[in-house]
Amino acid sequence: MAKEPVRVLVTGAAGQIGYALVPMIARGIMLGADQPVILHMLDIPPAAEALNGVKMELVDAAFPLLKGVVATTDVVEACTGVNVAVMVGGFPRKEGMERKDVMSKNVSIYKSQASALEQHAAPNCKVLVVANPANTNALILKEFAPSIPAKNITCLTRLDHNRALGQISERLNVQVSDVKNVIIWGNHSSTQYPDVNHATVGDKPVRELVKDDEWLNGEFITTVQQRGAAIIKARKLSSALSAASAACDHIRDWVLGTPEGTWVSMGVYSDGSYDAPAGVIYSFPVTCKNGEWTIVQGLAIDEFSRKKLELTGAELTEEKELAYSCLS
Amino acid sequence: MQKTSEDDTKHPTFRGVRMRSWGKWVSEIREPRKKSRIWLETYPTAEMAARAHDVGALAIKGCSAYLNFPELAKELPLPASMSPKEIQAATSRAAASTRIINSSFNTEMLSCQWTGGIEAIVARLELPSRLSWFLGRFLALYSMAKDPVRVLVTGAAGQIGYALVPMIARGVMLGPDQPVILHMLDIEPAAEALTGVRMELVDAAFPLLRDVVVTTDVTVACKGVNIAVMVGGFPRKEGMERKDVMSKNVSIYKAQASALEKQAAPDCKVLVVANPANTNALILKEFAPSIPEKNITCLTRLDHNRALGQLSERLKIHVSEVKNVIIWGNHSSTQYPDVNHATVTPANGEEKPVRSVVADDNWLNTEFITMVQQRGAAIIKARKLSSALSAASAACDHIRDWVVGTPKGTWVSMGVYSDGSYGIQPGVIYSYPVTCDKGQWSIVQGLKIDDFSRQKMDATAKELVEEKTLAYSCLN
Repeated sequence: MAKEPVRVLVTGAAGQIGYALVPMIARGIMLGADQPVILHMLDIPPAAEALNGVKMELVDAAFPLLKGVVATTDVVEACTGVNVAVMVGGFPRKEGMERKDVMSKNVSIYKSQASALEQHAAPNCKVLVVANPANTNALILKEFAPSIPAKNITCLTRLDHNRALGQISERLNVQVSDVKNVIIWGNHSSTQYPDVNHATVGDKPVRELVKDDEWLNGEFITTVQQRGAAIIKARKLSSALSAASAACDHIRDWVLGTPEGTWVSMGVYSDGSYDAPAGVIYSFPVTCKNGEWTIVQGLAIDEFSRKKLELTGAELTEEKELAYSCLS
Repeated sequence: MQKTSEDDTKHPTFRGVRMRSWGKWVSEIREPRKKSRIWLETYPTAEMAARAHDVGALAIKGCSAYLNFPELAKELPLPASMSPKEIQAATSRAAASTRIINSSFNTEMLSCQWTGGIEAIVARLELPSRLSWFLGRFLALYSMAKDPVRVLVTGAAGQIGYALVPMIARGVMLGPDQPVILHMLDIEPAAEALTGVRMELVDAAFPLLRDVVVTTDVTVACKGVNIAVMVGGFPRKEGMERKDVMSKNVSIYKAQASALEKQAAPDCKVLVVANPANTNALILKEFAPSIPEKNITCLTRLDHNRALGQLSERLKIHVSEVKNVIIWGNHSSTQYPDVNHATVTPANGEEKPVRSVVADDNWLNTEFITMVQQRGAAIIKARKLSSALSAASAACDHIRDWVVGTPKGTWVSMGVYSDGSYGIQPGVIYSYPVTCDKGQWSIVQGLKIDDFSRQKMDATAKELVEEKTLAYSCLN
């Protein structure tokens, strides 16, 4: 246990995703089996007792890697010294709610948390926003924490990325670890574009193996886009397990690097690559190395894909306007 | 490694290949100059087992080996000698090639120069099991992956199941290189929720998770499972005593005993979590007589971990510096958390008894004990829900240590079938201090028991005997 512990903040830690996420972090799934961690857990005062219950359970689990737990309702205490911040806290989506419904409730949360993070987090803190509307919450956070480098503020589309891998693996009846390089473009919403044009199984393109463009351009896309709602319908609760797992994958690949020849999807501050609108948080294919992500450039975009990329870009621009109008 | 079952059938054409009654193929090598056979890994196809036999045969017999695929011999990655380092190097080469047929090979490797050294090296190996372990590892990597282990979780749509299945799928239970197949069982009313969990497992794209079987049929759920974690039962709610839930659970465990006995893989390891854990496990044992009693356990690792946690908080040290607490008896409020043999070892420090470091016998004999005993209720009070996270984590620890072995000098607590050790009545599932090695647990014997402890140990044993009586009365 020679490494210095890394401080990981989870906001909304008393909720469903937090409860799934904290044992994963404490077992080394997020940062590696040899990386000690200190967990910072934040939630709102009504959840203080439940939050303390989670802290008690973390003590009860006797995790070798878990060097400390800070459980608090004070955002300043929560943010102090953190190296990784996973922002799960927000207003959860319930059956029937569209993402826009929850936006206004979340925008003011992210404005105030931006301020605390900027002032108290460790330098080079890596931020992952999970709470929906994830892209726009991340954008608000970025706008109100100007001293946090824009490249350090991301949102989660790894869940959609993993869902796309899962759907392909089920369709082809192969191991999911054999499928790679799908892309999730754009917004973590029903306009996201799950793109298999560069995805492969082994060295064969997915399109060739599936041999069903109609499915790939139709049902496959809508299944991935609407998977969140399908989970809620089956479980009567949001997808905590898979979201927590994807959050671990997102951070792990960001910090430890993506495998050679493989990219992943991350919502990142758009620089206008692929003609996506600049100045929004847009999901791109990225590789990661030395703790930094880089957009995979030069991928061919066909006409069908171009329309999808534009559609989700347009939605993000609308959300940005809506968010700003909530703040005025 | 594994015993021949009468149901094994020899493959009609491949040498050294047998089919198990549950459909897997195992490859075997005859030890040099002996009648006995060395059993190696199992494989999903006869062809893979046949190739595995070839690799082992070449390793042992060199150029004179009989091969199932002589035309492929030059493509097999072989060690330059039988030294462990060379075997591992060849193993890595095997693992690095994507398909054996197309792999690049070094023809110089296929030379008989090392043949003379083999028998000397084999003779130096003390036990056949070591040779078979090396060859097993070599061949496991040669066949590109370990055989997946089937893990059943009952009550999988519930809170503990939801916390547990991602831990299993990430390798927390069996190791980061052990593929798993999850079997998830729940009752009909939870079928849709169970499907939702399966969908999420697909959505998580776990590399180690080879398959998921989701069912409300206990026969299907139990088929071929190597590990069974019985979480399903009637959950305790705020205010309920464990005895309140017993009658609801006893009939569940009788029915599931029957299915497990008939369907599970031989040597299936069973962990009962659902309360009343000890008595549920006892019922399971009684109604599954062909499952070896040593394979049926209940979870007291949660209490064990809780005790470690309380000591670490008291001493303001890291929990990994405390060890060898004991949880005796029932996973209930009569459990006895015993620190008399527990020690604290700070980093770069000397190992010291917990009692002298804490220096507060009153606390250790009263508040500490009640805190651990009642921790479950305290969690429910704070969360308004049962302790799913820590229970799932403890279940992983229990199985992992059982399968992989406990670290040297360390024991853990497991609820196991009592053999009368420490004066406890045989015939109940009682939590003892155990060490684990080669997939078997052994009670740590010879620990001194003072009068205070004796009373506590007897009190919890008494409760278990009462529970047993109550359980049987529920069945009539």
